[in-house]
Amino acid sequence: MSILPGEALKLTLYFGEHDRHRGRFLSEAVLDLFERRRLAIGILLRGAEGFGAGRRLQTDRLLSLSEDLPLVAVAVDSRERIEAAVPELVETAGDGLLTLERARFAGGDHQPEHEPHEEVKLTVYTGRRERLGRVPAHVGVVAALHRQGVAGATVLLGVDGMATGRRLRARFFAGNAAVPAMTIAVGERERIAAAMDELNGLLERPVATLEAIRVCRRDGRALARPRALADSDAAGLGVWTKLMVYCSERSEHRGHALHLELIRRLRAEGAAGATALRGVWGYHGDHAPHGDRLLALRRHVPIVVPIVDTPSRCERWFEIAAELTGETGLLTSETVPALRIGGPGGHSEGGLRLAGPLP
Amino acid sequence: MTAPAWVALALLGGGAALARFLLDAALAERVAGPFPAGTLAVNLSGSILLGVVAGAALHGVALTIVASGGLGSYTTFSTWMFESHRLGEAGRASLLWLNVGLSLLAGLAALSLGHWLGGAL
Repeated sequence: MSILPGEALKLTLYFGEHDRHRGRFLSEAVLDLFERRRLAIGILLRGAEGFGAGRRLQTDRLLSLSEDLPLVAVAVDSRERIEAAVPELVETAGDGLLTLERARFAGGDHQPEHEPHEEVKLTVYTGRRERLGRVPAHVGVVAALHRQGVAGATVLLGVDGMATGRRLRARFFAGNAAVPAMTIAVGERERIAAAMDELNGLLERPVATLEAIRVCRRDGRALARPRALADSDAAGLGVWTKLMVYCSERSEHRGHALHLELIRRLRAEGAAGATALRGVWGYHGDHAPHGDRLLALRRHVPIVVPIVDTPSRCERWFEIAAELTGETGLLTSETVPALRIGGPGGHSEGGLRLAGPLP
Repeated sequence: MTAPAWVALALLGGGAALARFLLDAALAERVAGPFPAGTLAVNLSGSILLGVVAGAALHGVALTIVASGGLGSYTTFSTWMFESHRLGEAGRASLLWLNVGLSLLAGLAALSLGHWLGGAL
């Protein structure tokens, strides 16, 4: 299907590999739903480590804790089409955490330079089989972002999803050549605009979204705090904050792997959940783009950790994330205008109606 | 090996694999650090038990069922290697060698302890 530039909504569902819906895996049910409704973008990501509300720690480091890894499903389309899919998804998703975020499909009148804030999150969707000259498309995209001085970029490879309109699933023996990939970049508006110009020349029909963010820490420098928000807007609709930590498998805090220490601290302090997603290629700050190297035992891939909670609780998670990114890494904050936690003890103040755009 | 012995071997092997999974998962979750303590605990407890069995001079089909079927599927060499490799991937070289060295030395000590206990039975 063709994607029109303009206002869009990004739906994200955080759940687990073991979760089921009517006798089948929830991941399959959710991706089928995305496909059946022909949503413009649908992608399923598998986390490396994480925990959810009332859920135990899951990690791919220990064999016995790796059979139920965290999953993240993302769908993007126009507001009408996403909102039309929400009731069915809520019925399907059981007790997963579901968020809706405002985004814009880049193109036409919707260019990075028109974004209201100085910093922008750009997400570029490509197929893994797609190529830019002699390199995979996502490697070419990251190179362009790096050339334009964008603060950081991470390529997350989907295990299932719809890229360029077709459902492509990673299978054990299929070579996984055609699974979709998403490249998340964060940086100053002007630099993102310059990178977008370059991408328009490189990719045949780039599929990209723009979102408003705030860069809070970069390479040890404190730049800003998350927006001070009440837990609901003027109309009483809930508002949430999403913190994102971008680092690498090699980033450390006092001798501990940064992302593992972050997950451990958040879990110990009672956070509702956090998921570490391992990228395949990317960079942050002054590093050159990197990924794993052949014959090197030590991994060198980028890591992204999203944390979603109420603005008041996120103040505490921000302190922890800021302490751990004291020397390296990128820490950003975003506003989440709708959220739902299902299951016992779950809540969804304001349902999944979007809280008003904040000034 | 008689038919009942094959069945006993399969049942004990299956039960032991289950016990290993449950103990490992419960411990790993409680410790939650980077060191794979669950697998170490499983391998050390398995070594003590095998020491006891050997020390108690169990023999014949009973030894095959308990040692190969039960303790063979309870303890795990491949997971020990897998998790050591993961520590290397994460750049935790000192923990990698601690995991390899400690498992070897403590494993031998555990077997000796079990052997002595088994002999005293």
